[in-house]
Amino acid sequence: MEQPQGTSWVLLVYRVPREPTSSRATVWRKLKRLGALLLHDAVWVLPATPWTREQFQWLAVEIGELEGEAYLWESRLLLNGQEDALVRQFQARVDAAYQEILDGLEQDDADLVALSRKYQQVRAQDYFHSEVGLQVRERLMSARGGT
Amino acid sequence: MKWVTWEQVGVDRMACAWLITKYIDRDAEFLFVPAGQKPLPEGAEPFDIPGVRLSHHRGHCTFHTMLREYDLRDPVLERIARVVDEADTVQDVMLEPAATGLDVICQGMRLVSPDDQVALNRGRLVYDALYAQFASEPTRV
Repeated sequence: MEQPQGTSWVLLVYRVPREPTSSRATVWRKLKRLGALLLHDAVWVLPATPWTREQFQWLAVEIGELEGEAYLWESRLLLNGQEDALVRQFQARVDAAYQEILDGLEQDDADLVALSRKYQQVRAQDYFHSEVGLQVRERLMSARGGT
Repeated sequence: MKWVTWEQVGVDRMACAWLITKYIDRDAEFLFVPAGQKPLPEGAEPFDIPGVRLSHHRGHCTFHTMLREYDLRDPVLERIARVVDEADTVQDVMLEPAATGLDVICQGMRLVSPDDQVALNRGRLVYDALYAQFASEPTRV
């Protein structure tokens, strides 16, 4: 994904009714699963790609079906340096998740099935191609054995 | 009858087009508009566009919605709907290993096709193959 200058971001602001609580959980889980970042407890952010754009649109529609309300924008940051800071926040979170996998691989009884599945989940949220992700991949490959 | 959807078809729209031609409208004619374009052409049934009748509902893909809307009852189609759900929507529970591969194949199909129409046509073979394989396996829906 090209990033440095002029990444577009998709922004989602929404509310869903308090009841049933399952509605809130559904939306929350999907946002987590997409790897969206919550800024100041207010705005959910993802880098804009055809895929994230579409997923956020579907989610906005689903929020409407849950009797909620959602606003969705695509925008660019105007202040210098903020974009890098935002990208770093995405990277830090993904790196932490990758690090957990690396730690898991250190265990004698490492659950390779679970760890490789987790790797695939994290990779789907790795919008800025973390270096740690490459390490995880290599470690998983060698843990698999063979050549 | 005319059907309209967004350009750059992927796993869900290819599945829907296959379903439409095979089960709903043999002479279906497909139109493609850029993502987000409004208004949509008149006289064409829109599908897999956010907000229209034939689109994602309750977290399910458009293919799933179409089975409900057109009352198509077939365990094999239900299973394909689950695969497309897992390929195209955000799911915590993944039960169909074919989903990820199908998504990649459909994206690649668009890349090797000169336009969306050709991609849909070629995609039919993929879904015919998927249907045939699932139909040959014991039903566990």
